[in-house]
Amino acid sequence: MAVPIDVATGPGGPEPEPALAISGKAIEGRSLGQIAWMRLRQDKVAMAGGIVVILLILVAIFGPLLVQNPTTYHSDLIDPVYSRPKGPFGGISLAHPFGVEPVSGRDMLSRVVNGARVSLIIAFLATALAVGIGVVMGVIAGYFGGWVDSVIARAMDVFLAFPLLVFAIALVGVIPSSAFGLSGNGLRIGLLIFVIGFFAWPYMGRIIRGQTLSLRQREFVDAARSMGARGPYVLFRELLPNLVGPILVYATLLIPTNILFEAALSYLGVGIIPPQPSWGGMVSDAVTGSFYSIDPMYMIIPGLAIFITVMAFNLFGDGLRDALDPRGTR
Amino acid sequence: MRRRRTFGLAAFGAAAAIALAACSSGGSSSSTSPTSSPGTTGFNAAVTSVVNPSTTKGGTINFGNSSAPDSTDPGNTYYAYMWNFTRLYVMPLMTYKSCPGQCGLQVVPDLATGPGVVSDNGLTWTYHLQPGVKFEDGTTVTSQDVKYAVERTFDRGLFPLGPNYFSGLLGGNAAKYPGPYKDKSSKDKMGLTAVTTPDATTVVFHLAKPFADFDYVAAIPQTAPVPPSKDTGANYQLHPVSTGPYMFQSYQLNKQLTLVPNPNWKASTDPNAAQLASKITMTMNMNANDIDSRLLAGDLQVDAAGTGVQAAARSKILSSPSLKATADDPLAGFTWFAAINTTLAPLNNVHCRMAIEYAASKTNYQDAYGGPIGGAIATTVAPPNLVGYKSFDLYGATTDPGGNVAKAKSELQACGQPNGFTTGITYRSDRPKEVAAAQALQASLGQVGIKTSLHGFPTSTYDGNFAGVPKYAAQHGLGISFYGWAADWPDGYGFFYYIAAGKAISPAGNTNLAQLNDPVVNDLIGKMATTNDAATRNSYTSQIDMQIMKDAAILPGVWAKSLLYRGTSLTNVYVQSYYGMYNYAVLGVK
Repeated sequence: MAVPIDVATGPGGPEPEPALAISGKAIEGRSLGQIAWMRLRQDKVAMAGGIVVILLILVAIFGPLLVQNPTTYHSDLIDPVYSRPKGPFGGISLAHPFGVEPVSGRDMLSRVVNGARVSLIIAFLATALAVGIGVVMGVIAGYFGGWVDSVIARAMDVFLAFPLLVFAIALVGVIPSSAFGLSGNGLRIGLLIFVIGFFAWPYMGRIIRGQTLSLRQREFVDAARSMGARGPYVLFRELLPNLVGPILVYATLLIPTNILFEAALSYLGVGIIPPQPSWGGMVSDAVTGSFYSIDPMYMIIPGLAIFITVMAFNLFGDGLRDALDPRGTR
Repeated sequence: MRRRRTFGLAAFGAAAAIALAACSSGGSSSSTSPTSSPGTTGFNAAVTSVVNPSTTKGGTINFGNSSAPDSTDPGNTYYAYMWNFTRLYVMPLMTYKSCPGQCGLQVVPDLATGPGVVSDNGLTWTYHLQPGVKFEDGTTVTSQDVKYAVERTFDRGLFPLGPNYFSGLLGGNAAKYPGPYKDKSSKDKMGLTAVTTPDATTVVFHLAKPFADFDYVAAIPQTAPVPPSKDTGANYQLHPVSTGPYMFQSYQLNKQLTLVPNPNWKASTDPNAAQLASKITMTMNMNANDIDSRLLAGDLQVDAAGTGVQAAARSKILSSPSLKATADDPLAGFTWFAAINTTLAPLNNVHCRMAIEYAASKTNYQDAYGGPIGGAIATTVAPPNLVGYKSFDLYGATTDPGGNVAKAKSELQACGQPNGFTTGITYRSDRPKEVAAAQALQASLGQVGIKTSLHGFPTSTYDGNFAGVPKYAAQHGLGISFYGWAADWPDGYGFFYYIAAGKAISPAGNTNLAQLNDPVVNDLIGKMATTNDAATRNSYTSQIDMQIMKDAAILPGVWAKSLLYRGTSLTNVYVQSYYGMYNYAVLGVK
C-alpha cells in the first residue's frame, strides 16, 4: 500500500532544508512529523504561544482547586458610596492579587481562573464538534463531487449566511431551564457548545473540501482505486491522513474564534448563568453596569485574559501552519 | 382590566407613584403641608424645598433624553417622565399638586374646578371644567373635548401604549367600545355611553362598579382634552393641541422637540404649571454619558428620563462637594423586592418564608442597587412616599442589615427544615442590578443552609412565560422571584392590588408573584376600592403592608433612589414626590 506521506516527500521528494541538515549527527531519514516538529521548535513565537496554551490548560484544570471560592462576598472591601473596590487598581492586594469585583467584592483571581475552565471547555468542545462535522462533510463533498458536493456546498452556504448571533440569542431564550437530563449551567454549556460548534463547521468543511479536491487526483489515490479500494477506504485511509495538517492548524485557529464567540454570547446575556464566572460574562457585567468608568480593572482583567488566550492560540496556530505546510515556508 | 405602569421603564427608572390619597375630598384632606424654606441649597435641598425660587422670564431649558418618549400624545404614554413632561402642554382633569415633599403626592383639580363629585352609590363621578380654558388656537375647551380624549384611548390598535383603566372601570358600552375612529353608533363620534356631557363644562363618568380612587385615574394625561376636529390619529403626537403653558413649535419624531409659550394660556387657570422659559427643547436618543457630561457642563439643564446619572457622572458628582451641593437623591417611588412563593413547599410554611426574611443580607441587596445613593434599605413593601404610609420593621432590616443567622435558623427549626432546603430564584437577566441582587441573596441564604439555583429570564418574557406563570414556577420549583413595583397612583390600592391581591393571580402574566391569597389582605384591598372617605381609606394602606410582612410573602429589598443633577442655572426646581423627579411643569432658568 502506498503510504501517502512517502509519495509526497519520499526519497525523491524535496531535500530537507539546509538549516535542519546542519547537525553534527549522521543524517537520518525523518518523517514529515519530525520535520514539522523541528520547524515548530525553531519558531520561538509559536513555541511561546504553545507554552501559554499549555499553561492555560493547566490553570483551567487545576486552578479552581487552588484559589478561593469565587462566590464568597467581601462587602468590607467595597466602598458603598461608589460601589467600587476600596484601594487603587480595583482593590489589588496580597489577599486579592487581581483585586475584587465591584458591588460584591468577590475575588477576581478566582473568578478569572474559574472562568478559564468554562471558556476553554466550551471552546475546545465546540471546536471538536465543528471539526468533526466539518471534516466528514468536507471530505465527502470533495471526494464524491457531483450532486453530493452541490448539496453539501449549498448547505455550507446556508450556514455561513445564517444570522448566527440572532439565532443563538433566540435559541438560548426558548430552551427551558432543564432538558435532555441536564439543567442549569450544564445545559447552558451544552447548548453553547452545540450552537457554536454547529455553526462553525462550514469554515472547516470548505477548507477540507478544497484539500480533498486536489488530493483525490493524486497518484496514490488512483493507485489505491486501481487496486480495488472502495470509497470509504480511500476516504478514511488514504485521504484523511493527508488532511491531518490542515485539520490541526484550522482547529487551533478555530479555538480562539470560539472563545471570542462564547464571550460575545455571555456579553449578550445568553451565556453562562451566574454566579458561575466566565470571561465574557465578566466583561459584560463591567459594561452593562457601567463599572468600566469607575473601576477599569474590572473590565481590563477578564479582557486581558481573553486577549492573551486568543493571541496564544493564534500564534501557536500560525506557527503550526507554517511548520506543517511546506509551501507556506518557501 | 387595570394595568400597571409599564415595567420596562423600571430599567430606565420610570418611577411612579406614591401618594396622597385624597380622592373624593380632593386635596383638602390629609395633606402634609410643604416645608419649603425658599433659598435653601445643598445636597438634597430640592427634595424638600424649592431651590432658586424665581419669577424671572426668558431663557431656554434644554432637556436631554437617552431614548425617545413612548409617545408625546397624552393619550398614548405610560412613561412616568412623560406624564411629568406632558403637563407642560396639556391639562388633564386632575393632576398632582406642584409642591415639594409629601405635598406633591396630593391629587388636585387641574382642568376641573374641583375633585370629582361622587354619587351616593359610588357609580358616577362628575367633573366641572374651568370656564375659559382655551386651546392654543383660541377655541374654548368643552366637555366634549374631554370625552373625545377619553374615547380615543379605547382604540388600542392606534394607541396601545397608555394605561387601560377606562375600559375596565367604566360601565355602559365601555367593554366593547372600539374608539371614535371605528365608532359607527353615532355620527358625531361621541358613542361612548359611559361618559356623558350634560353641558359644555360638565363631564360625567359612569362606572361599572364603585371605584373610590377615580380621581387618580382622572389625573392620567389621557383625560387632557383633544379637539375632535384637530385629531390626526397616530400623527396627533406630532402636534398635540396645547392647553398648557407651552405648545409644540416643531417636532422631528424621536429626534428633537421644541416648545414655545402658548399665548392662550392663563396662569390663573393653571396654578400647577408656569410659563417662565421662552423656549423648551428636548433632544432625543442621546448617549446617556454624553447627557451627563453636558449636564455638568451646563449645555443641558435636565435629563428628561429623571432616573439619575450614570456611574461615571455619579462618582464625579459625589466626590466633588460643589457638584454634590447641586444634586439630589430622592426616592423614586419604586420598591425592589423578592416575592416568596407562598404556595410552593416548603415555602408554603410561613416560618420557612420568615427564615428568608431574616437570612437575607439587606446590605448586599442594597449594594447591588448602588449602595445608599442607589436606594434605601426597605423595611416595608410600600415605599415611604405612599399616602397613609407607616414605618415598621418586623424582621430587623435596619438593626441587622447583614442578616440574622440565628433567627433564620430558629425559623427553619419551626418550619421543620433545620438543615435548610432547596429552591429556585428567578430574576431578569437583562438587568445587571437584579442579577447582582440575585447572586447576593443566593450567597446570604447559603449561610443558613438554604440552597438556591438561579434562573434568569429576559424581562420581555419574565411575566408572560416564566416567573409570572404559577404553573411554571411550581413545576420548576421557583420559590423566590425578583421584581420591582411602582404604582400608577400613590396609595395602597394603586400599589398593592397587582402584587398582593388574590384576584390578581392569573395563569400567565401574573404580577402577584408570591401568589398571596390572604383573606385579610384581599378584604383590605377590596375596602379601599369602595371607601370614599379619604382618611379611612388611607389608613388601610399601612394595614395591608403590615399583613403582607406578617405573611412574609415579600422580601423588601430597597426603595430605589435616583441621583439627579439640577445644576445652578435652573430656577423653581424641586422634586415632585409623585414622580420622584424634578417637576418639569414649573421650571425656569436664569
